[in-house]
Amino acid sequence: MARSEGLPVPGAPLARPATEIDEVDLVPVRTYWQLVRRRFLQHRMAAIALVLMVVLIVSSIAFPLIGGDAWFKTSLTHGPKDPSSLTAPLGYDNLGINIFFRLMRGLQTSLTIGFFAVLIIAGLGTTIGSIAGYVGGWVDNVLMRVVDIVLSLPTFFLVLMFVAFMGSGNVFVIIFAIGLTGWTTAARLVRAEFLRLRESDFVQAAKALGASDRRIVIRHMIPSALAPVVVASTLGIADSVVTEAALSFLGFGLRPPEASLGNMLTNAQDYFYRQPLWIWYPGITLILLVLAASFLGDGLRDALDPRQRIEA
Amino acid sequence: MVRQDDERTLLQIRDLHTHFATADGLVKAVDGVSFSIRNGATLGVVGESGCGKSVTALSVMRLIERPGRIVGGTITFGGKNLIDIPDDEMREIRGNQISMIFQEPMTSLNPVYTCGNQIAEAVSIHGGMSGGEARKRAIEMLSQVGIPDPARRAEEYPHQLSGGMRQRVMIAMALSTNPELLIADEPTTALDVTIQAQILELMKALRERNRMSIMLITHDLGVIAEMADDVVVMYAGKVVEQSDVNTVYEHPHHPYTRGLLASIPRLGEKRNRLEVIKGVVPNPLNLPAGCLFQRRCPSAMPICNVAPPFQEVAPGHLSRCWLTPAGDPPSVGEAPSEQVALDAAAALSAE
Repeated sequence: MARSEGLPVPGAPLARPATEIDEVDLVPVRTYWQLVRRRFLQHRMAAIALVLMVVLIVSSIAFPLIGGDAWFKTSLTHGPKDPSSLTAPLGYDNLGINIFFRLMRGLQTSLTIGFFAVLIIAGLGTTIGSIAGYVGGWVDNVLMRVVDIVLSLPTFFLVLMFVAFMGSGNVFVIIFAIGLTGWTTAARLVRAEFLRLRESDFVQAAKALGASDRRIVIRHMIPSALAPVVVASTLGIADSVVTEAALSFLGFGLRPPEASLGNMLTNAQDYFYRQPLWIWYPGITLILLVLAASFLGDGLRDALDPRQRIEA
Repeated sequence: MVRQDDERTLLQIRDLHTHFATADGLVKAVDGVSFSIRNGATLGVVGESGCGKSVTALSVMRLIERPGRIVGGTITFGGKNLIDIPDDEMREIRGNQISMIFQEPMTSLNPVYTCGNQIAEAVSIHGGMSGGEARKRAIEMLSQVGIPDPARRAEEYPHQLSGGMRQRVMIAMALSTNPELLIADEPTTALDVTIQAQILELMKALRERNRMSIMLITHDLGVIAEMADDVVVMYAGKVVEQSDVNTVYEHPHHPYTRGLLASIPRLGEKRNRLEVIKGVVPNPLNLPAGCLFQRRCPSAMPICNVAPPFQEVAPGHLSRCWLTPAGDPPSVGEAPSEQVALDAAAALSAE
């Protein structure tokens, strides 16, 4: 009986229906970004970091909105001895301020500083790096020597000096200080990419099409040079957040009643023996934020590299 | 010495010199090249690597980059000397009236844009078309170059296409603006043989259809035989022989051209070894005096120490060699004496 299975049944079509064959021919079309997403999600720590980052960002926006002025409002009826409750999960500090809402406000400040500082870093770095890489010659030489000079200075003390002179406690001054000292790595990365891209065949082809320099730089070179900048920027968020915390810890950052993770740490050190947990709250938040940004950067670096193959 | 101007000439290059100032010295990559391209005809430029073919093409496009520089000569196109016109005007001609396709289809497309997007860009740079129109034109061009299912292919990225497909996309891009001249720099070198034939057929069909001229750069004499009407043979930055394609194949005059033709293996012919041209191309930093080919030439003569004139050996057939038109060494009585030769050389360099 088994033998007859292989034989064609009289009257039945010999070939498979045409529709099935057509389907075989259709290779699924995946765009660059679909590939990037797949590679990113394969990086498990990066995927976890992404979730963590989203949670941190959402809570830094949502909780300050819910809490209203709770993050700086002192109270005479609440104090460190109050048990934690639903409205104050982390209790109250020595001034009767709701620690949870203060923490969320501090997280918001840190993220804002990190985000905008990195925006400056990426913007400045991309601009300077692309000019140096595209124009080349003495322009490149001058710009890269400036980069060398900035890199040779101890960055943190530069930031400290800038903030001390321009007015400490101002969010914008801190953002600018971090941004103006941090662009060098991004500039170097973009320049290196541009040197490579300038010689590439597709840039030559674009020139042969009659594209202007501006079009070549903006449309053809920057998109290809951006991947390392995105990675460096994500890692830069972690750096900026830590720098801000350090500034605040030294008293040059934001001062109370403004909240930042750094000045919460400063405040907590006075109560280190009586309320050891107070130093853990901002500390752990800071660690989580930095870890999330770092792993996110790692995952992006792997995902944005088109040479990396996906194991199907 | 140079083919006469007539209204059927599309592009005329006269005495082009493109030099590269390298750290080791001056390299005369293109040293006094002259030729012209007729309307609707295909000119093949042949020569081995480093003989200045590509540099000549890039000079026409004015895409020579530092440390290279066009130091002399004229390139006449549409009544204008392309060497003198301002950058903006040149940019308008590039990709619009003169397009170029490159050797490496694998890397000549930008990996971050879809194929349709890139063709549309080529159109919108010059055409001033809206995004939608440019897209339609891109799909139309893709079907013109024989890509099946063009609407879907337009959405694909270069890495999703094979080499032949990518070269078709490059051709679609180059032709999307209906150029008068297409410069093809080794368009089939990176492709395998069956695909080469397809691409050549495609270029021929599109040439008839768009009535454009092609400047075809290659080291593959088979491609030239297939495609070209006229041939320019280059050696060490100079044109050594120039004629129509049949003459060059059937009555090659210059020993270099003969050597090239002899080194092609032929089907059905029993040979133990392929003919080769002995020796290597002279170091461009240290060119010999006189004929540049003399050290490798089987018919080298004492007179070859003097640069030979670029002379007509038959109507429309020019060769840079001392041999008589019949291909014999100039006999003692008739041969121009050393002094005559020196005069000829002096007259040539004075030009």
